[in-house]
Amino acid sequence: MAAEVIMPKLGMSMVEGTVLRWRKQVGEQIAKGEVVVEISSEKIEMEVEASADGKLLAITVAEGEAVPYGTVLGYIGQDGEKIEAAPAAVAEPAKEQAATPPVTSEQATPATSAPAARGSHVKISPVAKKMAEEAGLSLDSLTGTGPQGRITKEDVEKALENRAAVAGEPPASGAGAPSAAGADALFDPGAVESSQVVGMRKVIAARMLDSLRQSAQLTMTAKADVTELLLWQQQLASELQKRQEGKLTLTDFIARAVVLSLKKHKQMNSAYLTDGAEARIETYGHVHLGIAVALEKGLVVPVIRYAERLSLLDLSKALKALSERARSQQLTGEEMKGSTFTISNLGQFGVEYFTPILNPPETGILGVGAVEAVPVYRGEELQRRSLLPLSLTFDHRVLDGAPAAQFLAGVKESLENPYSLLL
Amino acid sequence: MGTVAIIGGGPAGYVAAITAARLGEQVTLIESQQLGGTCLNEGCIPTKALLESAETYAKVKQAAAFGITVASEGVTVNWPGVQQYKNKVMSKLVLGVTYLMKKNKVQVIKGKATFLTDNRLQVKQPDGEQELIADRMIIATGSQPAELPFAPFDGQWVIDSSQAMSLPAIPTSLLIIGGGVIGCEFASIYSRLGTKVTIVEMAEQILPGEDRDIADLLAGQLSAAGVTIYTGTALSRLDNAAKAAVLQTNSGMVELRAEQVLVAIGRKPRVNELGLERIGVQYSARGIEVNGQMQTTVPHIYACGDVIGGIQLAHVAFHEGEVAARNACGQKKTAAYHAVPRCIYTAPEIASVGLTETQARAKHGDVRIGEFPFSANGKALILDEPVGKVKVIVEPKFHEIVGLSVVGPRATELIGQAALMLHAEMTTDALENGMAAHPTLSEALLEAVHNATGQAIHG
Repeated sequence: MAAEVIMPKLGMSMVEGTVLRWRKQVGEQIAKGEVVVEISSEKIEMEVEASADGKLLAITVAEGEAVPYGTVLGYIGQDGEKIEAAPAAVAEPAKEQAATPPVTSEQATPATSAPAARGSHVKISPVAKKMAEEAGLSLDSLTGTGPQGRITKEDVEKALENRAAVAGEPPASGAGAPSAAGADALFDPGAVESSQVVGMRKVIAARMLDSLRQSAQLTMTAKADVTELLLWQQQLASELQKRQEGKLTLTDFIARAVVLSLKKHKQMNSAYLTDGAEARIETYGHVHLGIAVALEKGLVVPVIRYAERLSLLDLSKALKALSERARSQQLTGEEMKGSTFTISNLGQFGVEYFTPILNPPETGILGVGAVEAVPVYRGEELQRRSLLPLSLTFDHRVLDGAPAAQFLAGVKESLENPYSLLL
Repeated sequence: MGTVAIIGGGPAGYVAAITAARLGEQVTLIESQQLGGTCLNEGCIPTKALLESAETYAKVKQAAAFGITVASEGVTVNWPGVQQYKNKVMSKLVLGVTYLMKKNKVQVIKGKATFLTDNRLQVKQPDGEQELIADRMIIATGSQPAELPFAPFDGQWVIDSSQAMSLPAIPTSLLIIGGGVIGCEFASIYSRLGTKVTIVEMAEQILPGEDRDIADLLAGQLSAAGVTIYTGTALSRLDNAAKAAVLQTNSGMVELRAEQVLVAIGRKPRVNELGLERIGVQYSARGIEVNGQMQTTVPHIYACGDVIGGIQLAHVAFHEGEVAARNACGQKKTAAYHAVPRCIYTAPEIASVGLTETQARAKHGDVRIGEFPFSANGKALILDEPVGKVKVIVEPKFHEIVGLSVVGPRATELIGQAALMLHAEMTTDALENGMAAHPTLSEALLEAVHNATGQAIHG
């Protein structure tokens, strides 16, 4: 793995730094401790030293460009590392920064300091873009040497040459992103059913990929002891039957528990919105709860509006009505928009924990697994308890681990003290 | 902060001086004549001023076509007036460069520089000599007209291009040796001022670097304006006493008389009398050897502009001057030549950028060609200049626009759009919904691009 040259943080208030001058050129040998690049913040100038011996493999930030601190400016390593290290590492700092919780309390906003993902805003010339697409090169793996880091035809040609040099294939054979079949004579897939990605599948594909690319999501898990809740559910069932009302399902209770915890931890009832280079976090007063429902063609997420105004019983009715409408495909587009938090339940399939993907631009999604009866020590005594696995995915750009954990603890607490769900 | 000395105040030199000064260096520029170099004093600017006069004269004579009656005996060329106009434009621009030097605190020394050592210069001045020491040097001494070994310039009958723009009177006949850009431009100027012009070119076409169809369009127009063109023809000797030239054509010898002979066979880099051999800077008759950063074989000495050979154009010199200065000041920048416009100020004008069709076929194989004639362009008809076309060359795989030529009215202005297309590495599909204002000559460019993909409307 090649060593990174990183834009250091010079002082508390520094948001970004400018590359003044590269002392070394790509290909030049560098000894550990030697000055590689000169940088400056608004206040001071500084020399950045190499953290390892090797060659300067790539310069990712050109002279005169300003970038947030922590951004990788270049890579130092050995010749062989060139191809593997450089492209992989380019995408990495964003991930690392997002996933590492801030260590110091003065750390202001990890969100703004993470280098912007290149995604759809890559500066690239039209012909370079077509060449890269045809060759199946990810734009994120390319280093632009044009004005303001624009990727030029020459940059793509160089990347292709490098790839060819590694793979031992001639550079001209840009066969595009190979389909699995055809690329490899040893690959015998049997009968292949190929269907074009269209309609709902296409929308889901795009949204999910977008979600993973454009937010800093991570998942934490917890078990809720629902032994009492299940007992209570049975008692209620007979009472409800007398009143000719439908049964309350576990999902109903969970939905109510989530609403209660969201009211307490408003940070989770929010969205991270970007508008060009500007970003803002909106925190919402009302809870519009999305419930993921699996259909044959794919997933839909109908929304229960103003869920915080509904009692447990009303919530249950609303949920039933929506799920039925979803299964009979009667949902309108309006009914699937505007949620502020989502619940996804895979318990019926025996799934335990999983990593739900955020429904953008929401901040949180709760994954619910299957209840399992396990022996648990309560004091010194082993008891049969029913445990419910919960998986909370949240956007680290909006909030940090501790507040997210508090929200999850809130859900757990309500489920473990079921009477609170009535309040 | 260090010191930088720049030899030569032409386009490469003065841009290098400004760039280095702005990067905080203490800059001295040495120029033996006027600031501005060949471009301002004996090239681009004065020839284009003369051309504008010739053009105005031709346009006035053409006035009847636009419904304007001008008494034909009233239209005459006032040659001293033409010269005055030309000189006025030149001196304004020279003043502009002088101002830029002052503004950027560049010290200008008048004189001729020679290297004593690799960081010491001797500057010979009219009233003595001085020595100059600098940390880094940039050589930008430019080029001068090349002469024929058997017929050197005499300043009377055999002249070079700088003398050709300050003749005491309009010659009745002019023999131009060399059908390149300079020869063709002078043919366009003097033929329209009433001179009987003959062009002699060794290659099989005039403008040997450009595509045949483009050169033929110009040849046709020059012939129509009364210019005689001999291609595939060599000058075998000049008879000064009889003021006659003997030509070796494909079909035998021809003898021609002319009042003046302009030798325009190219320009040679000014590499002599600099003392380069003394300090180890490698050079040849084709110019000083440099790398992509304009660095000579002596690391702290740079060279740029015509003196390094290559493409001898003022705008290339601007670019090289900036590149040389940035590298001399410790930055790293490499010269880029892929979107250099080439302009020929003839009637009609010719301008190209990128590859010619011949070069494109050699590089990309079966290229697509899109053409659009000015005869189908509204604005060209309004100008009464329907001759010419736009030709765009598209590489077959990604449909990148790799070359574009314009022959016709305002070609040298239109080429700016094409230079942008090439600089941005534009593809034809990226221009699919592009729009040009109507009625303009620019429409022809987009139509030609669309023609390459089979979508032109008016062609």
